[in-house]
Order: sequence, then structure tokens, then C-alpha cells
Amino acid sequence: MPENRTNALGPLSSSRTGATGLPRIEVVDLGKSYGPVTALTGVTLSVAAGSVLAVLGHNGAGKTTLVDILATRTRPSTGSATVCGFDVTRDGHQVRRRIALTGQFASIDETLTARGNLVLVARLMGAPAKAARARADELIELFGLVEAADRVSMTFSGGMRRRLDLAACLVGSPKVLFLDEPTTGLDPVSRTGLWTTVRLLAREGTTVVLTTQYLEEADRLADDLVVLAAGAVVASGTPTELKAKVGARTAAVTFPDAWSARWALEEFTRLGLKPVLDPDAYVVTAAIPAAGQIVPLVRALDQYGVTVVDLTVTEPTLDEVYLALHRAAWDTATWEAP
Amino acid sequence: MSKPRHLRSGASKTGSSKTSSSKAGSTNAEPGDEDVVGDRTEWTGSSLRTQVWVLTTRSLRAAFGDPRLVFFGLLQPVVLLLLFSQVFSGVGSLPGVAQYQGYINYLMPATLVNIAMITAMGAGAGLVAETYSGVIGRFRSLPIATGSVLLARTFADTARLAVQLVAIVVAAVLFLDFAPYGGPLGLAAAVLLTLFVGWGLSWLFVAIATWQRSIELMQAVSFIATYPLMFSSSAYMPLQSMPAWVRAVATVNPLTYAIDAARALALGRVPGWSLPMAVGLAAVAALGGGAIAARNFRRSA
Repeated sequence: MPENRTNALGPLSSSRTGATGLPRIEVVDLGKSYGPVTALTGVTLSVAAGSVLAVLGHNGAGKTTLVDILATRTRPSTGSATVCGFDVTRDGHQVRRRIALTGQFASIDETLTARGNLVLVARLMGAPAKAARARADELIELFGLVEAADRVSMTFSGGMRRRLDLAACLVGSPKVLFLDEPTTGLDPVSRTGLWTTVRLLAREGTTVVLTTQYLEEADRLADDLVVLAAGAVVASGTPTELKAKVGARTAAVTFPDAWSARWALEEFTRLGLKPVLDPDAYVVTAAIPAAGQIVPLVRALDQYGVTVVDLTVTEPTLDEVYLALHRAAWDTATWEAP
Repeated sequence: MSKPRHLRSGASKTGSSKTSSSKAGSTNAEPGDEDVVGDRTEWTGSSLRTQVWVLTTRSLRAAFGDPRLVFFGLLQPVVLLLLFSQVFSGVGSLPGVAQYQGYINYLMPATLVNIAMITAMGAGAGLVAETYSGVIGRFRSLPIATGSVLLARTFADTARLAVQLVAIVVAAVLFLDFAPYGGPLGLAAAVLLTLFVGWGLSWLFVAIATWQRSIELMQAVSFIATYPLMFSSSAYMPLQSMPAWVRAVATVNPLTYAIDAARALALGRVPGWSLPMAVGLAAVAALGGGAIAARNFRRSA
């Protein structure tokens, strides 16, 4: 068993990511309105093969609409989109041959067993009966559904449904996988499991587009992020880029006494930082633009033999990014008001 | 979640060292090659026939998977027939019915059509339920024809109807003194006609289901479509005994033609215009309902 595992994982360990830079998804000036309501407007983006794009936004920001258009479930009102080189409006069938989608709710046939669901999808994708059963067995094992394989899926827990749903998506080895809020309502164990699966898929060359409200999820999985607000892209870039835009890491150094704290304040200033002293707790806090800048800091402290009680570096979270973006949007709106 | 291993592997490799590795070798990429579904080059999509077959058997397995469901599903029309034949037994002596020598003979062919109507309603309700459960969403994201999902739905429900019709005919002959003077051939013709009418009706309810996707509304619409049509027809009473306005409604009621034709076939009488009218109306229902259903189904998300 462990031997098989090493074997199966072999080709995966060669590179960190399967991304090749070729665009798998191209979206140009995409818009969608339902009557007077604008769900999406002027969205332009490109997703490289084998990369993971996270679409972030509030409820109603247009995330699901974007995914629905790309998965050919909804037609765009304006603009164009191609998936694997095929236009989503003109070549819907070709697109559907290459993609898979899991919506916010598991799309499984509750009257069938786990195996029955997977065989059904494989058969509909054109697999002969025998190949369909083989593929079902394979996925059942991969997703830890062996014990439940022949149970009617009506009895499944939320986590098991999600797993079966994702397994059903992977039956045809899609080139692009759309996950619409895939971990909403999942327990932490199932969530981590899903993250592992997504990373593995991306490593094997599958392009993944996921929508999420969880910034941690986007941070962990995504190569690129797009933040939607009121149907428009308000920010995009890598997680690192977005974080750099908003704020820096902060280093907080705790000293045993007021003297060394005050000394550090001067020393940090000399290094070009803007430290702040909390005189009661002997803590000096400073924003550090790059991760490397912590090194001269530590070296300086070491050089003068200053005792340090504690040193913590805080990464800016995507929550801060998110809040800052929305604050900016809100501020603009307020300023523009008469 | 157990650790996913080789999510894109070709044939089942685990535990087999002899599996050809040519497929596995190509799994790790060529992301630029867009002409295949993953690495499953052999899966070039399924034919319409396969799609309809796979989807129909799926629905049938669901319908016949639970023996309790099958039992009560078959019992329901038998109970209805028993009730109507006893409660309305007095109708048997009315002019226009007396010639059938027993109300059961008059009622039974109408009951076949009644069952067809109720089963057709079930086709619509089933589609709504499956839209809610998410299965339909899955089908819509697969590279299959829109029509095959709907076609399979109506085929499965017509197959279900066939089982119900056979069961009730057997029960009526054995326990309720039903005497089909048309003989086995006439009876078979009546059942076949009813199946076709039921198939046509199922398209109407499928069309309603694709248009009105709330279960409550679906039930309300179905009720309004079903009961007045059943009672304002020649199903339970001869037209002569009805008030003039109901008789007028019954004369244009499409169900009257289906019922008259089924009755004539089963009882060895001349169906006259009722037979081509019933077949024609069912065909119109299937084509019209199918066109509306397909359009709604494709458009909606």
C-alpha cells in the first residue's frame, strides 16, 4: 500500500505547480444583467493552465454569476469568455466536455449509491460500462468512500456528499474545475482534505477556479486572486501582491526592561524603520516592508548582546486586504457624494 | 478525507503493476492540448441513445428500488378503482351506461386514462424534485444533449405507467368482474393507447415543471389541470346525464376522446373518431410540451 502511494505520487513531486503560463480561461469585458440588476460588469481576467484562481467577494458580489457564465450555465449579456480556447456561448458543448463544476450544494443523485453516481456520470461522458466501473472504483478509493460505496447517498453526511460531488466532477478528468464555495458548511477535517485535493489537482495541470468568502482558503490555495464587489473587479493579483498593497508585516520585539527597549527604538530608527514603543510592556513594534528586513534587526540586537524576551512577526492577513479594499470603495463613495 | 493520490490516472492502477504506463505518461500534461477530455481520449462523449438509455434506467431503478414504494404505488389505483366502482355503482343502470353490463366495464378503461394522468403529473413533480436535489444541475454541466434528460424522464414515467396499467387490469379482471369484451387484443390496444396518451401528457407536465419550478405551484397547477379535466369528461358519467354546460365542456375535453377510444378498444366497440383524435392530441401534447420544455430547460440556469 505505501509503495503504491509513492508510485502514484511520483510524477507529482517533480514540480511545485503544473502551471505553464498558457491561458486556459480568457475573459474580456464580461457583463451580465438581469433586467435592471447588474450582476457583473466589465470583468476582464485570464487564468493560466494549471493555476488556481480564487474569486473573492461578499454574497451577491457576482462570484456565482461569473462561474455560471464560464461553466456555460448562464449566457453573458456583454463581452466574451473562452475556456480551453472555446467560446462559452458558441461552443458550449465543447466547453462542457472539458470542465466540471460543483455548485454551492452537492449535485448528486440521492437515490443512487456513491458508486452508482460515479458510474452514471462516466457513462454519460461516453465511457463504456466496464471503464465506467473502473473509474468509479478508482475515485471511490481516492476519496475514502470505500465503506460507503454501495450505500444509497441519501444517508450521507455533508462532508461525504461534498466528497462524492467532487469525485463526480473528476470522473472525466476535467481540464478546468469550477468550485463554487466548495468548503461552505464543511467541518475543518473535510475542509483540509478538500484543500489537499485542490492543490494536487492543480499540480497535475488542472486549472481551478474557486469562489470563496474565506480569505484563509484563498490565501492557501490560490496563485491569483480577484476581488469582486458589486459585479466589478476591485482588485486582482497574487496573494502576496495584494497583501503588499495594503500593509506590511509587523515585527514586535519584547524587551526585559525600559532601557533596552529605548535602545532598540533608536537602533531600529537608524535601520530606516519607524518603530513605536509601548513603554509599559517594553514592546517595540515596527512595520517591515520585506521579510528579509527582519534579519539586520536580529543581527543588530545580537551584536550588542541585548536580551530579547519575545519576537513575533505578523503577516498581514487577507482580511486586512479585504477590509482595506472595501473601506477604500466606501470612502470613494462618500467623497463623491455631494 | 483520505489522501487523494493520482487524480488523473488512466485505468485503475492501484494494485496492478501490469497496467500500461503509456496513458499515465501523458497524464502529467500537455496543458496546451485542448482536444481531449483530460487524458481520456477514448471517451469522446456518449451517443444520444446511450444518454437516454442510461438516464431512463437510472430513473427506473429509483422508481422500483424501494419495494414499499412499488407496493403502495400499485395499490393506489386499485383502491381508487374499488372505491369508484362501489360508490358510483348506481350509475351502472343509467341510460348510456346500462349497455356496458356493469359500471366496472364503463369505469375501468377511464381509470386507465386517469392513472396515465396522475403518472404524468408525477413526471413533472419528479423533474422539479430533481432540480431541487441538484441532480439536474449535474446533468446540465455534462456534455450531453438537453433533450435526453427530458426524454429519459418521460420514458421512465411511461414505463412506470405500463407496470401500473398491467397491474390494475389484472386486479380488475380477477377481483372486480371486469369483462373486457374486446378480448386480449382489444385490451392490449387500449393499454397501448393509454401509454401513448400518458407519454403525451407527461410532456405537458414536464413543460409546466420547466416553467414553474416551485413544488407548491407545480402541485396547484397540476391539480387545476387534472381534476376538472377528469370529472368534466366521459370518465365517470355518460355525457347525456350531465347539465348542458358540463356536457359542452366534456365534448371539447381532450380526455373524453382518450377515454372513449380506450373504452371502445377494451370493450370491442367501434372507436370511430375518438381514436385518431386521441392519438393526434397526444402527439400534439408531446410535440408542444417538448418544444416548450426544451426551450425553458436550455435557457434557465
